[in-house]
Parts: sequence; C-alpha cells; structure tokens
Amino acid sequence: MKLLTHNLLSSHVRGVGPRGFPLRLQATEVRINPVEFNPDFVARMIPKVEWAALLEAADTLHLVEVPKEPIEGYEHDEKFLRKMHHVLLEVDVLEGTLQCPESGRLFPISRGIPNMLLSDEETET
Amino acid sequence: MLKKLKSAERLFLLIKKQFPLNVSSVSKGKILSEIQRLINDDPESWLNAISTWKNLLELDAKKDKLFQRAALFQRAANPPKRKVEENDIISAKKLKTKQLQELQESGECLLEKQTEEETQEQGDFLTEREKSQEAFQNDVVKAADAKNQNDLTFRVSCRCSGAIAKTFTAQVHLPPKEVGRITGIALMKQFGWKADLRNPNLEIFIHLNDIYSVVGIPVFRIPLASRAYIKTAGLRSTIAWALASLAEIQAGAFVLDPMCGLGTILLEAAKEWPDVYYVGADVSDSQLLGAYDNLKAAGLKNKIELLQVSVIDLPLPSESVDVIISDIPFGKKFKLGEDIKSILQEMERVLHVGGAIVLLLSEEHHRRLKDDEQSSIPLNSEGSHTGEPSIKKCLKPGGKTGTSETVSSSFEASSQECLDKTPPFGSLVPVECHKVSLGRTDAFICKYRKLHSLGL
Repeated sequence: MKLLTHNLLSSHVRGVGPRGFPLRLQATEVRINPVEFNPDFVARMIPKVEWAALLEAADTLHLVEVPKEPIEGYEHDEKFLRKMHHVLLEVDVLEGTLQCPESGRLFPISRGIPNMLLSDEETET
Repeated sequence: MLKKLKSAERLFLLIKKQFPLNVSSVSKGKILSEIQRLINDDPESWLNAISTWKNLLELDAKKDKLFQRAALFQRAANPPKRKVEENDIISAKKLKTKQLQELQESGECLLEKQTEEETQEQGDFLTEREKSQEAFQNDVVKAADAKNQNDLTFRVSCRCSGAIAKTFTAQVHLPPKEVGRITGIALMKQFGWKADLRNPNLEIFIHLNDIYSVVGIPVFRIPLASRAYIKTAGLRSTIAWALASLAEIQAGAFVLDPMCGLGTILLEAAKEWPDVYYVGADVSDSQLLGAYDNLKAAGLKNKIELLQVSVIDLPLPSESVDVIISDIPFGKKFKLGEDIKSILQEMERVLHVGGAIVLLLSEEHHRRLKDDEQSSIPLNSEGSHTGEPSIKKCLKPGGKTGTSETVSSSFEASSQECLDKTPPFGSLVPVECHKVSLGRTDAFICKYRKLHSLGL
C-alpha cells in the first residue's frame, strides 16, 4: 500500500462518518519501491493530498524530507515533486495495520493489500 | 502497429465476402455447390489474398529472423489457447487512429451477433489494407508465388452460426467440420494445395451466418485478444479494453474497479492510459492473489493498488473517485452476493460529480436497474424522456462516429434501443448502453455519469 492510497482510505465502520479519517498507520514491513518519476502525474496528485494525514503517516514511518505543505508553483519545482513522488508512490507498506481513529477497529495489511472487510455486525445500520 | 488493435479479437485478410448462403431449399446438393462456389468462382481473389499474406510474412521474416512457425500451434475449430507465446507477424505499415476506430469490433466474442455495419467496416478496412499492400508487391514475388503454390499446406476452420447453423446441423447434416472438409477438397482441386491439419502454412477461416458468408486468412496466428502482458485473464481482454475506453480516463484521474477479480480491466486500462492512479478492490482473497500475480507479471505492480473490500462498503470518502469501471459478476463462476442496486448506490456515493461509471451488466442486472427506475417514474411512457441530456448524447445508430474516439462503431447499432429503455438512476444518468455478446450470454456495457451531488 502506497501512502497515496492511505491518504484516501477512510474507516467505514458504521456511525463513524468523517471521523474515520485518517486511518492510523502501523507498519511492520516497509519497502522502498523505485517508481519511474513522472512529474506531471505527481503534480496532478498534489491537489488531492490531505496533508495532515500524509504528514502523520510519514511520521509514523520515520520518513525524512517530507514537504510540510504544497509550495507555490510546485508544478515546476522538480525538487519538491521528487520528494512527493517518493513519499506518495515509492514508500510501500507491505505488512502492518490501519486503525480506525474513532472506533479503534484494526484493519490488517498483508502483502501490501489492506483488508478493509467488515463483519456483518459492523455494517448493520 | 496492428498488434495495438485492442478491441479486435482477430484480424483477417479478406478473401471473399458475400451474402449468406441460401438455405431455403434445404437441398444438400445445392448447399454443397454453393460452398464450392465460394472457392471456384473467383480464384483471383484467393491468389491475391495469398500473395498479400505472403508479403506480410516476408516483412515479418525480415524483422524477426527467429520466426518459428513450428513453435506455434492452434487447433482447428477450437479457440486457440490463450497463453501461447505471441509471435509478431506484423506489417510494417503504421495504423492510423481512424483505422483503429473502424476496427473496434470485438471479433470472436461478437461473431454470433455481428451486425452488418461491423462486417462492412471490417471489409472496407481489409480492402484498404490490400490496396496498400499492393504497393509492396513486385513481379519477383508474384513469380515466386506461382512456383510455390503447390507446396502450400493449409487447414480450414469453419464456424457457422444463426439459422444457417441450425439448418446445417439439423436438416442437411452438415456440421462445420464437414463444411471445412468440403472446402478443403475444393481448394486442393482448385489450387493444388495440400491439407495439413496439424501444422499448416496457411489457415483459412470460413464464417457462415445469416448476415454474410466470409472467407479470410488470419493475419496473426494468435488472436489479438491474447495479450502478451496478461498472465491469467479473467474477463475477455477486448471487453475489458472496451469498458476502459468508454470511461474517458484522463491523466491524473483516480480510477477504481471495486470488483476487480483478476484485474483484467485495470491491466488493459493501465497499459493504454498509464498516468493514472488505479485501485482494484475485491472481497476474495484468491482473486486478489491472482490479481497480484497478474500485476507483477505485467510489470504494473507500481501502477495499480489493491484493496480487500466489499463493494457495498467502500472505505473511501464520498465524491473521491473520478472513474469507476467494473465487470459486475454474473453467471456460474461468480455469483453476486449483493443487490445490484446497493452496489450502484455505493458507487454513486464515492464518485465525483461529473465522474463516470462504466459497467458490464448481465441482462438480468440490466433489467433490474431498468425496472427499478420505471417503477419510480410516475406513469411516463418510454418516449417521454426526450428532455434529458442522456438521450441527446446517444449515438446515432449506423452513423459515422467521427467525433468520438472512444466509442466503437460496432456498438452503435444497439445503443439507441438500449438507451431508450434505461432511465436514470438517482443522480446517475445513463450516457450510453451497448449490447455485447460474450459468446453464449449477452451482456450490456452501460455508462453512467453523476450529474449532481446526492441529496440535491
């Protein structure tokens, strides 16, 4: 699971609503996966990023050099885009958990695939 | 190049195309002579096609000296195996986008329901090709052709469908195999070629149905639909590509397949539209593992993220996804545990306003969505939806596409009819609907667009 994906995922335990974001990340195995740098693509992802969630996740993984916020004219700032590229696309969480910040429900990540399935009781309204 | 034709199942050099055989007489003798006439009437068209075919092979041989015919195999009358290594038999000619569009017909999977327009277009294209190939021909090659004619080994594959097929098998006892054999004998007599069922130089395909009779030579031994980059295909790759192409995927978009299975749609999409953030989700461990292997094998592990989720409980914020593409499971292999309506509701929730959903629906799901809407619209007859933009966006049946680069012309014929019957669903408005044949079953490719936020 890339941090870009983490940045999007939200707990969907019933009754949690918007308070289900962001999921608390715990990683036991992280791989840095080289991905070809595509500045245009990264630039397009920047507006989608929830920065607080990204910084929190990056912090738990002890990542350094994570931009604190989008900077002016980032579309043409290769240094900035490369950093974002690394954080969003190259950091790959293989094993660990995601935790709902509201209900405390744990979702396991294995082989890089988060298991977000809920039991029947959890989905009942 | 030709291999980049993503929605064509197979490509043939056209030898002959004519009206369907007349089977009204139900006289075996008459039918036999009609079949023989396919071969004997116009030997010139056969020789032309053969020489074009040889040119293609020579072009390829120049490109790739290692071409080994023996390594390839394909059983007559059976669909070829998918995992056979693809071998390039490519003409050096570049394919224009326009031609690509013209050929966006899905070959084998649609064969039984092929509309006349489709074949017409295929025919046109082939003629065009042949013309352009003539430029390459020279007298030396032609002379060589004549000399080698006798050494040619061949095999005939025949496919019959529609009412003709029924008449053939039930009334005159002419199964496709027999038609193939008769054609083979006629070819031996006419051209002196030798039959070789196991490993022929040349394959001849005959398709007889109620719309046309057509004879051709496959340009590639392996169907175009068997992609070199797909290890295990779930959905047919041509259909997967067609679904993705209708979705109008923009660079930088977030594209979700919430029931990705082995990930075929996402693989096809990521190959064609690379600068996109793809997420595939499925409930099943085994499907996700299969998808994982497929992504790895295709070298697309970095492009596509996987999640284990239920389609009716997507762990995504509302209005966060740009495009949803999915093959809604139906049929024997995968049963849909959930109601199609709750699936659409959840898709609707996570989709951005203006975002598109492209689904492959079974006839049953399609009907279900349709019925639901009809009951919620008070007593309006079908013709009364004319004020809606969706109807205006509908393509004209049989007309030239021209402006739309995503829509396959082969689908047009049926789009009008389906659209009229598919009314809006919540904030989702149907944009297009195309009936496709998946061999034995029919299905619908339906595209919806979210017009406004929920609750408005």
